Amino acid sequence: MSSNGSDPGRLYIDEPPLIAGNQTFASVTDKISRIAERKVSKFWYLAITITSAMTGLLLVSIGYLVWEGIGIWGVMIPVGWGWAIVNFVFWVGIGHAGTLISAILHLLRQHWRTSINRFAEAMTLFAVVCALIFPGVHVGRVWVAYWLAPVPNQMGLWPNFRSPLLWDFFAVGTYFTASLLFWYTGLIPDLATLRDRAVGRIRKIILGIFALGWRGGNRQWKHYELAYLILAGISTPLVLSVHSVVSTDFAISILPGWHSTIFPPYFVAGAIFSGFAMVVTLGIIARQSFHLEDYITINHLEKMAKIMMVTGMMVGYAYMIEFFMAWYSGNEYEAFTYLNRAFGPYAWAYWIMFTCNVIVPQIYWIKKYRTSLPILFVTSILINVGMWFERFVIVISSLANDFMPSSWGYYRPTFWDISTFIGSFGLFLTLFLLFARYVPIIAMSEVKGILPAAGIHHHGDDLSAPGGKK
Amino acid sequence: MSEEFKYGGKEYWRSLDQLAETPEFKEFLHREFPDHAWELDNGMSRRNFLSLMGASVAMAGLAGCRRPVEKILPYVTQPEEVVPGVAQHYATTMPLGMSAYGVVVETHEGRPTKIEGNPLHPSTLGSANTIMQASILGLYDPDRSQRIQQKGNDREWIDFVSFWRDLYQRFQQNKGQGLAVLSESFSSPTQFKLTAAFRAQFPNAKFAAWEPISDENIFDGIKNAAGNYYRPVYHFEKARVILSLDSDFLQTESENVSATRRFAEGRRLVTEKDTMNRLYAVESNFSLTGGMADHRLRMAMRHIGPFAVALTRELKNLGLAIDIETPLNYPEDFFDKKWLNVLARDLLQSQGQSLIVAGRRQPPYVHELALVINQALGNSGQSVTYHKMTDAELPSTAAFTSLVDSMKRGEISTLIILGGNPAYNAPADFDFPEALKKNEHVIRLGSYHDETSQVSEWHIPQTDYLESWWDARAVDGTPSVMQPMIEPLYGGHSAIEVLNLIVTGRDQRGYDIVRERWAEILKGKAFEIEWQRILHDGLETSGALPAETIALNHSAVNAEIRRAVPAFKPLGVTDMEIAFAASPALYDGRFANIGWLQELPDSITKITWDNPALLSRRTADELGIKSGDLVQLQWQGKTLETAVWILPGHADYSITLPLGYGRESLGRIGNGVGFNTYNLRQSAALHFADGLTIRNTGRTYKLSTTQDHQSMEGRPFVREGTLEEYRQRPNFAAEMVKLPLIESIFTEHKYDKGYQWGMAIDLNTCTGCNACTIACQSENNIPIVGKEQVSRGREMHWIRNDRYFVGDTDTPEMVHQPVACQHCENAPCETVCPVAATVHDAEGLNVMTYNRCIGTRYCSNNCPYKVRRFNFFNYTNKLPQTIKMAQNPEVTVRSRGVMEKCTFCVQRITHAKAKAKLEGRGVHDGDVVTACQQTCPAQAIVFGDINDPNSRVSQIKKQNRNYQILAELNTKPRNSYLARIRNPHPELENYKPVTG
Repeated sequence: MSSNGSDPGRLYIDEPPLIAGNQTFASVTDKISRIAERKVSKFWYLAITITSAMTGLLLVSIGYLVWEGIGIWGVMIPVGWGWAIVNFVFWVGIGHAGTLISAILHLLRQHWRTSINRFAEAMTLFAVVCALIFPGVHVGRVWVAYWLAPVPNQMGLWPNFRSPLLWDFFAVGTYFTASLLFWYTGLIPDLATLRDRAVGRIRKIILGIFALGWRGGNRQWKHYELAYLILAGISTPLVLSVHSVVSTDFAISILPGWHSTIFPPYFVAGAIFSGFAMVVTLGIIARQSFHLEDYITINHLEKMAKIMMVTGMMVGYAYMIEFFMAWYSGNEYEAFTYLNRAFGPYAWAYWIMFTCNVIVPQIYWIKKYRTSLPILFVTSILINVGMWFERFVIVISSLANDFMPSSWGYYRPTFWDISTFIGSFGLFLTLFLLFARYVPIIAMSEVKGILPAAGIHHHGDDLSAPGGKK
Repeated sequence: MSEEFKYGGKEYWRSLDQLAETPEFKEFLHREFPDHAWELDNGMSRRNFLSLMGASVAMAGLAGCRRPVEKILPYVTQPEEVVPGVAQHYATTMPLGMSAYGVVVETHEGRPTKIEGNPLHPSTLGSANTIMQASILGLYDPDRSQRIQQKGNDREWIDFVSFWRDLYQRFQQNKGQGLAVLSESFSSPTQFKLTAAFRAQFPNAKFAAWEPISDENIFDGIKNAAGNYYRPVYHFEKARVILSLDSDFLQTESENVSATRRFAEGRRLVTEKDTMNRLYAVESNFSLTGGMADHRLRMAMRHIGPFAVALTRELKNLGLAIDIETPLNYPEDFFDKKWLNVLARDLLQSQGQSLIVAGRRQPPYVHELALVINQALGNSGQSVTYHKMTDAELPSTAAFTSLVDSMKRGEISTLIILGGNPAYNAPADFDFPEALKKNEHVIRLGSYHDETSQVSEWHIPQTDYLESWWDARAVDGTPSVMQPMIEPLYGGHSAIEVLNLIVTGRDQRGYDIVRERWAEILKGKAFEIEWQRILHDGLETSGALPAETIALNHSAVNAEIRRAVPAFKPLGVTDMEIAFAASPALYDGRFANIGWLQELPDSITKITWDNPALLSRRTADELGIKSGDLVQLQWQGKTLETAVWILPGHADYSITLPLGYGRESLGRIGNGVGFNTYNLRQSAALHFADGLTIRNTGRTYKLSTTQDHQSMEGRPFVREGTLEEYRQRPNFAAEMVKLPLIESIFTEHKYDKGYQWGMAIDLNTCTGCNACTIACQSENNIPIVGKEQVSRGREMHWIRNDRYFVGDTDTPEMVHQPVACQHCENAPCETVCPVAATVHDAEGLNVMTYNRCIGTRYCSNNCPYKVRRFNFFNYTNKLPQTIKMAQNPEVTVRSRGVMEKCTFCVQRITHAKAKAKLEGRGVHDGDVVTACQQTCPAQAIVFGDINDPNSRVSQIKKQNRNYQILAELNTKPRNSYLARIRNPHPELENYKPVTG
């Protein structure tokens, strides 16, 4: 990859083109806008019917939960946290790729990100929405869950700032806010494009409101670019902090299997791993559904496969170093916990996790496979299965067999655990379908910036500033 | 007890109850929910939750949703002595079979809420067992019958009185021809006098007393050997060597409370220089007594009698003068020779300081042998004393059999059943319900409209012991009075009131009947003064009968042994032994509607809400069955389908069937729980017999346990050593775990000011009897959650009894460890709570703020002791109104979604501090007694101020056996344990005895 500041034209010397098919500004606008403008396909209606039904299941599950109590789930003593927390960590992890792609890759000037950052960011938001549901409803008394927030009250009571759950509350909340702002900021020029193309008054007004009066003038572009850069700068540490903080929910405790200093980097690597897997899954679906082969090229997918391979090996390393540390610590409880994970009552879950997360990504060593759509599609799903089980193994197997054998138990999910999880997928997919229907799923303005056509002015300094210098 | 208890809100709850009982409301329910109307006030089931929501509209006046709105009626006239908010305590007596347990009842504004032992009473000595503690729920049980019925129609008491007066004329003329009374056995001056009057009045009538579980064999054995009926009182504290022949004297035998206290006395150690008793146990089922034993020999029931014969022979061979024949045709090496020899020598070396106790299920000749050996060893008068039976109607299977035969022949026209429940628990071959049909009139006095009442013409509700007048004699003859704590909740009459009516035709109140009798007992004394004192104390403190000297009738014993000792017969999977046992939880089944007892994990199996058949691993392997399988048992033409449970340490080829479950017509708690093993029990073998066959049905049955994992995994929770090891390494318990040197990076709170509460539990005396668990449940309003919830790991007990097996599955040792919140100074739960709902107070308590808790359950996850309990559902809002009356008003009732745990009985601490402050002093050691400590029959739990170096708890924590569990986590727990010490005979240490 070429260093920054070079002529954009040089990109084409050692890299395949980021956008294929000799696109022009007009063709990009036309292609992407039309997805959000054309008549809705029957397939879309079918899909959203199914996902809405799943979302309905989520609402029913939550409604019954609030009505009847947390006991409708399989949680118990000693396993006080069950699928809800597993799902929470899973969704937060999924929510990592978007902001990583938009912010960190933006700062690192990885121009290939422009094809995928819009829907990856959307995916992040929707995943975090799904994630936030779980800690919200898993508490015993949902109606007072707001006590987690430092709301001034007549009792002068603050939340306990020593509790990682509180850090969690702030970390995920901040992450969601920053991601939403970042996503919306990126959307403004594209919304303006849609507004300009809109037929029909209502559509024009609505898009006009959301486009915030964007006209595409130089001064606007200048402020916009700066704001985008600042947001990228703010979001970058958040990408690393949010899952580090989530991992402290476990690492701060004294429970063997949770109490571990490796957790923050390990969780972040795992989150990026699962997030990219989800981007690949959704990217392939979008690519095929909306014929975006020119925009989401095999080249893009291959780059993501490489990232998955690297992060997959990071989590694999973490799995193994945990065993080493368990042995090296000389702590019998610690040693037991890890042996129990691999060979105890939850060994089945452990080996699903290990296979999916460590063995499956090894297939990406071979270029033929990492550039094959069917293989990428299947493996990316397998990776997320594995990452879900990773959280299952961490949360549940550690709790089920801890210090006192007399209290050991075996956790079994109930119908409502499963329905809530399925329902969260419904919500996620419903939001994604709505997004694909109403919002440009590829950042047109950014893609235009990396087209060869954007380079003709030979300003050449900053590819992320398609307006160029004044 | 006086009239003041007529106030106290009685009308209030009654009217609520009556509202729910109105015919209109019932009819509405039956119309809307024809099959499940009972579920309306069923605290257990959520099955019909949604449909029942509809009914909640109708229920709105009874109980609101989250915050019930209730009307409070003030006293019109404030009764004297009752200060609202201040509990009062009254002494009374709880009868159980022939035993009388003196209790002290805590009442709040006239509502009994908690039962403790009476320190003055010889059978309780201030402690209580699970059944005594839980009997408070029996009083409030909404399923107790509330109406007098004749052939299913409601009647008034006056109707019954006139009905009886008609019959009375007839029976007076024919001297009771065709009249019969079936009663429970009792030891009561008043009732015995009435019984005697009955016999005098109606010489032609029959009177039989019977109970499914009784000490009949013990009495018969002693009668045959000593020529007279005596009650044995065991002084375990005086015995250095104790042999139990199938006697679970620590849990299921009668008088287990005082036995535990006395046994613990002989076992308590302060330093390594002290001595302790040694317990040998020979038993089939693994009991708590077997768990406490230093040497345990597992053996099928039928071999235990011959073992006693072999022991007698061994003692004779060793030179003990026993003039009894010991014929035995068992194989020479059947009983482990070394074991037998060491035991015999140990007994001989402790003459006058040893004790042989035989269990009530063993036939009379075993009790005779025990008596003979105790006499020969000089133990009689020392570690065991014998007291005359007075005022006692003994249980008699013979009398019962003869009565049933008469019934079947149609000779009985009127049968009066006082208590008991023969239609449920009479031997199956009696076919009692059928026999009842041959009587013209059957009059049944019973607490529940149960199996017997359903086939009786008349049903009269019986009052609970907490609402009636009665009296009793304790095991040593001490007379005590039962006085009501409350007016009868559901009307009802006591056995003496009914018996008095039967005998005299007069309708008298129990108070007058008992007073009349006591006027005779206290003749020559200032009656009113003495009577007041007895009501206050609950008993005549100086009323114990003297110990008698026994003269053995050798020829009678020899004759019985020649007749009764069985010939050798090996058992096998095709010819197994069947043995019936009292349920440690439900006794004979009369307590089956008490939820606390149903949900109490069995001390040994840790199973709740069930009574699976118990067998050994080897037997199960040979039969090809595993725990939870449903099997069909066939014995003497009767069959029973039951679940099985593999119990390590159970005797091979023997199966133990706990009694008391499988009730059909009792109430919302007890119905349909477990298996009715009475269906197999027959008069020929009430306790055990051979000839049982087992067939696997191939189906399984779900059993709910609170502890799935039986092994300690080598982790040092229960630390134990032998007495010898202890003497060599007095600090072995503390040295078992090397604590890392931990230095805090900040200045830690010192906890060195004011009171600092702490607890110590002596594992050497703790037997694992669970009394603490029920005491805690009663004191702290802990709900029951039902079998399904227990199987999901949601039981709510604040103090649990961990039970671990050590060793192989054939001859394991058993250890118990009560675990409650450890009140860590560095509590892991506190830092992780996001809303600071669990925090530390200045006195070192880890306190829960229920109304601040939002229910993240993080505290439980981070608790290494897993002592926190979560309200996964609203377990209390569906409690029947009357059960709510049993709750302690000083403890918050927790709602759904909050965490709870042991508080060290903070309400009692607060009380003690308030009292001390009023009296202008500090809290003295012993002012604060936690519920578990108060009831512990072994006095294994000590609580107090650890900041006071002279307090008992501080002294105990200074003992060298003291250790804390998981102290290496730097949690700094306030609870500590004293290591358990075993006292094996040096020659039998690590010896695995072989039998058969």
